[in-house]
Amino acid sequence: MEKVLTDFVKALRNSNVRVSPAETIDAVSVVDTVGYEDKELLKRTLSIVLPKTPEEKKKFEECFDDFFTDEIKQQISVEANELTDIKDIDSDLAKKLLEGSQGELMLSIADAAEEAEIREIRYFTQRSVFTRRILEKMGVGKLEDELMQMGASREDELPSELEQELRNQLTNLRERVSDYVQQQFLLHGDVSGEQLREQVFKSMNMAQIDRSYLHEVHSLVRKMAKKLANLHSRRKKNFKKGKLDIRKTIRDNWVNQGILFDLSWAYKKVDRPKIYVICDVSGSVGAYARFMLMFLFSLTEVVSKLRAFVFSSNLGEVTNDFKDAQLDEAIEKALQKHGGGSTDYGQALTDFVSLCLDEIDKKTTVVILGDARNNFGPEKAHLMKSINERAKQVFWLNPEGKYRWDTGDSVMTTYSAYCTKVFQCGNIDQLERVISTLLKTAI
Amino acid sequence: MSDGPKKIIKDITKGFSKHGYICSEQIATAVYLASELEKPILIEGPPGVGKTELANTAALYFKKDMIRLQCYEGLDESKALYEWRYGKQLLYTQILKEQMQEVLEGAKGLKESLDRLMKFEDIFFSEDFLETRPLLEALTSKKGSVLLIDEVDKSDEEFEALLLEILSEFQISIPELGVRKAEVKPLVVLTSNNSREIGDALKRRCLHLYIPFPEAKLERQIVQARVPEISESLQIQLVNFVQGVRELDLKKQPAISETIDWAKTVILLNSEELDTKLAEDTLNILLKHQQDIEVVKKEIPALVSSATETSDGKSIN
Repeated sequence: MEKVLTDFVKALRNSNVRVSPAETIDAVSVVDTVGYEDKELLKRTLSIVLPKTPEEKKKFEECFDDFFTDEIKQQISVEANELTDIKDIDSDLAKKLLEGSQGELMLSIADAAEEAEIREIRYFTQRSVFTRRILEKMGVGKLEDELMQMGASREDELPSELEQELRNQLTNLRERVSDYVQQQFLLHGDVSGEQLREQVFKSMNMAQIDRSYLHEVHSLVRKMAKKLANLHSRRKKNFKKGKLDIRKTIRDNWVNQGILFDLSWAYKKVDRPKIYVICDVSGSVGAYARFMLMFLFSLTEVVSKLRAFVFSSNLGEVTNDFKDAQLDEAIEKALQKHGGGSTDYGQALTDFVSLCLDEIDKKTTVVILGDARNNFGPEKAHLMKSINERAKQVFWLNPEGKYRWDTGDSVMTTYSAYCTKVFQCGNIDQLERVISTLLKTAI
Repeated sequence: MSDGPKKIIKDITKGFSKHGYICSEQIATAVYLASELEKPILIEGPPGVGKTELANTAALYFKKDMIRLQCYEGLDESKALYEWRYGKQLLYTQILKEQMQEVLEGAKGLKESLDRLMKFEDIFFSEDFLETRPLLEALTSKKGSVLLIDEVDKSDEEFEALLLEILSEFQISIPELGVRKAEVKPLVVLTSNNSREIGDALKRRCLHLYIPFPEAKLERQIVQARVPEISESLQIQLVNFVQGVRELDLKKQPAISETIDWAKTVILLNSEELDTKLAEDTLNILLKHQQDIEVVKKEIPALVSSATETSDGKSIN
């Protein structure tokens, strides 16, 4: 019986629930006490032992239902098997469906699956291929032909009971096989689909990520941001211990007749970085701005003051939109309001300087995201210079490949002269690296 | 075999409800497992769903002492584990000094004095001077205890590491005295509001229970248990209203404790029926943010009408 449990744990791991060996052992001892008989109880107990966050609990429930469905279905469909007139059908599969026991049917599915080399399944996209292949091996094609003939020969009459039953069984079989494939995929698809997809998303150019995947990418970004936040909040701790606080030490130790027993330390005030982000959201770069903002606003734990501005020609502040609304909504809103139109970096810089140059101080990092394609307008590089002089550092992130900088109307070099650092930032991996540097140096 | 756990879980549900805590099957199962496997249990969930109360009730149910440790930033071992009684220790050395004369009387030379001194019993670091703090107290309790480590997410990461030994082995190492092991393993309940992600090491050692906002049926039972003087129709209306409010997009959603407070308030005002005015007047019991109140205020008529409607439907059935 332990095999079932370890298989289940493997399936859980594949759907990204982290289960350690110690927890598996716990699960085994739990199952020993509650047993397998009561499915609901089993589910409730395992959900206490294995998944350890609300998100994991959700995944656990899906996984549990997928994994243990087969048995339930078997119990339900045992009764529906009492038809006799099967002489005029000669498909083997039909006979098996009508006469064979559920166990035999499962066995023949497993055999067919073996023939179809189900173990080779790796990606979630292969599921339908394998389902089809297994069904073919089982002889579904022949049965379908016969059913078609029956349908054609009976003309207007109602379908016979036999035909009806066969059709039902066939649908049932299809479901069963696709469940089986799903289960096998969870077991054998070792590089879990999710991990693979994350890999792909990380290295894919951000502008090319399809909108339908935005939700997944969002959760990926949030995960990465959380990791960074953890890393940097811990780093901050080390800064805490400072000098001996003599006044407090003496006051505290008055009760010990002035013997300095407990020492008190003066804590250094931790300066959390101020970050100002300016994003170009014109057509070409809008997609990148989305991810940039997504990332930064997932970091509010470690960044005390974050102000975001977007522009295509005129500059507008969007910080409050992000504070109040859901991230997705805020991004859409920002892109709608300010996106499109031709870019004018000169104008944007002018706006930014008049808006908040005074607030920029030696703790501030200014991050500019854009391709520096200025439509041959005035560059106003002197504004960059004055921002650079006041700020602690200025980062420029350019989503274009380095070889395209300074081609056409791009004026990257003019601006990069006044930047502390310039990064190429085309995919999420690069973005993470940039933001990590940002947090490291901004404090 | 399969009957055993089910029955115990049912007993727990019943026993808890006697103490005024209505729990879902999931919660009862968690309590059962925690006591059966002798493993600590980490409870997460939004504030006000009864995480702390669960530990209180468990103590009542198992008839054990309740020991509570409230976590906060800067909590360290001298406040959570043990502390030496410095004052008494100082006095002890003074007494010792006087006694020394007698002990050393007649000893010749440094070596003999030292030998005598070594033979002399030393209790400077001993149980007598040990001030137990909640964690040690829970371990040494003869009767067994329920140890509640409340809001563990508020403590520092260092403290979390300190808990690991206690949670997995039910023992504490005191450098001067050696390892202190629990005679009766306490039932440990940790709660967290997720203001900080709890470390994996700690999570791995615990069972994990997530208590969400309750479903309408369970919440009704809870209100009934906590505010028994409420009429059934009013109680249904209130709960439906709160359930409706939770569907809205709010900064802080009303929890069970707020529902109970609200029910008590309504009783105090002698109202028999939920109406728009009553809801408007008492909204601040339910919601703690001005923004939320404004959001809900707009929806009150709709919420009230749907709450009273469904309750009418229910009472006909």
